[in-house]
Amino acid sequence: MAVYERVWRPYAGPVTPVGRRFLVVTRYALAEAFSSRLFTAFYAACFLPSLLSLGLIYLSHNLALLGQLGLTRELMGGLTLIFFRLLFLWQAVPAFFLMAILAPGLVAPDLANGALPLYLSRPLDRRAYVLGKLAALFLVLSPPTWMMGLAVYLLQALEEGGGWGRANWRIALAYLVGHLVWILVISLLALAISAWVRFRPAALGALFALLFVLSAFGSTVNAITRSSIGDAVHLTRAIASVVQHLFGAPTSSGLPVAVNWLTLAAVGLLSIVVLNRKLRAHEVVR
Amino acid sequence: MTASARSPAAVVELDGLSVRLGGRPVLCDLRASLAGRAIGLLGPNGAGKTTLLRTLLDFFRPSAGGARVLGQEITGDGRELRSRIGYMPESDGFIAGQSAVRFLRLMAELAGLPPRAALERAHEVLFYVGLGEARYRRIGTFSTGMKQMVKLAQALAHGPRLLMLDEPTNGLDPPARSRMLELIRDIRDRGETHILLSSHLLADVESVCDEVLILKQGRVAACCNLAEQRRANRSFVEVELTDAAPAFAQELAGLGCEVALVGDRRLKLVMPAAVTARDLFEAAARHQTAIRWLDCKRDSLQDIFLRAMEDDRGGV
Repeated sequence: MAVYERVWRPYAGPVTPVGRRFLVVTRYALAEAFSSRLFTAFYAACFLPSLLSLGLIYLSHNLALLGQLGLTRELMGGLTLIFFRLLFLWQAVPAFFLMAILAPGLVAPDLANGALPLYLSRPLDRRAYVLGKLAALFLVLSPPTWMMGLAVYLLQALEEGGGWGRANWRIALAYLVGHLVWILVISLLALAISAWVRFRPAALGALFALLFVLSAFGSTVNAITRSSIGDAVHLTRAIASVVQHLFGAPTSSGLPVAVNWLTLAAVGLLSIVVLNRKLRAHEVVR
Repeated sequence: MTASARSPAAVVELDGLSVRLGGRPVLCDLRASLAGRAIGLLGPNGAGKTTLLRTLLDFFRPSAGGARVLGQEITGDGRELRSRIGYMPESDGFIAGQSAVRFLRLMAELAGLPPRAALERAHEVLFYVGLGEARYRRIGTFSTGMKQMVKLAQALAHGPRLLMLDEPTNGLDPPARSRMLELIRDIRDRGETHILLSSHLLADVESVCDEVLILKQGRVAACCNLAEQRRANRSFVEVELTDAAPAFAQELAGLGCEVALVGDRRLKLVMPAAVTARDLFEAAARHQTAIRWLDCKRDSLQDIFLRAMEDDRGGV
């Protein structure tokens, strides 16, 4: 029908499956994110540490090229566990900034002008809405983190051969599980703060403030009690210790790694509680 | 209400529906069966109109009783039910940074339309509500009237079977209000979509609806079929003659009218369907008199509403 006819008619065509409806939320969130050139440029920059690592691995195993460059394998140094742990850090930190830029813009605009009831008045429930937003964050953050991490690990395993991959399986585990846990916890936290604050810049500030406050509080408690008990609320130290444990390295937290896992689980659960309370079609004033 | 007692054509059936919010009762034991093409929800502020709409959308859980919308239990599969409903909320509802066409496309896709069809519908509906030229503008830059139209458009985009409109004329100037009501009447007259219109403006409800549910303090104060009321009122006539003419009254009685004399020149009549106003004028001419004044009784919605507000027991 031509639009200029200005008539309205009911829709009688095919509809998409209800179970996949959350992907609409994901698709629009991704389109919104990558509509910013600055974000896209920063996103591309997040791949640089991994790409440099891939190049370094290729170079360190290419004796002919090393010879042409006047280098030897010994000069390159061994690709030790430290190299992979440093790469993890160089992937996780930019990914955190990516998420901090992206996540508040996913929920706050829907809440700021009452669009959420319109989402929820359609065949989409709150779980699907959050799942859609989480899926967007997962799809954005996965390639520069665990996907590139596994690519680096695989290239090293292929180049090195001789059972290197099997002997260092914990590196793959750390990249996969460490990044996924980090993405999940921080994404939930960022969405929860965004749902609470409802204003994008304030949500961004609140996320950094919360991480800073938790870290400062944990360190202060440690200093006062001369123990490591404050690490129970030190979110960044908790994730660092979990990742170190996954790599099979000594942990930086004075608490058992199970406590660090509990800290992450508590932050995740608390975020879900906040999302459950704040993401409603209508708030009930008591 | 038993299953056998349900009306198959009912759009909304309330079966002892009660809702408590924040620990206090907001809706109490609502019972009604509404089958009109356009149903009005009337009541003073705080009567529970918006809460009823939100409960029908499964935003709030009933504390007792239940309800059916388009024959489907509201406590059943909410997603299936909501796919057949378009909802225009009273308060703001938009994403400020998005263009109108993008926003509508998103809403249509969420309702289940494939992306291509959703885009096509978004353009169509925006033209339909009169925002065709502004469809690429960000909604955040729209005037209040335009935002109201966007809200109506998003409710229509997926072609719902039931359109729930919560105070659609709020904040509109007279021409915009008139345009909004005209659109709602147009949708009603197409006969494909039922309308549930919540408003505290009697004139809006009267001009659009054929059935009305009046709420007062969370209870049903009255439920009436305006269309039947209008039809019935057409037969109640009050006449004033230029001269006294008892034979005129006798002739009308002979035609089957029920006649009551109010003074010697004034009559109140209940006319059977076969008798028209023309018959009255002809009868008057035959009896050497003339009709000076004739008024069809109009039991307006305002009368019904005021009676409902006065009567605590409810039920018209």
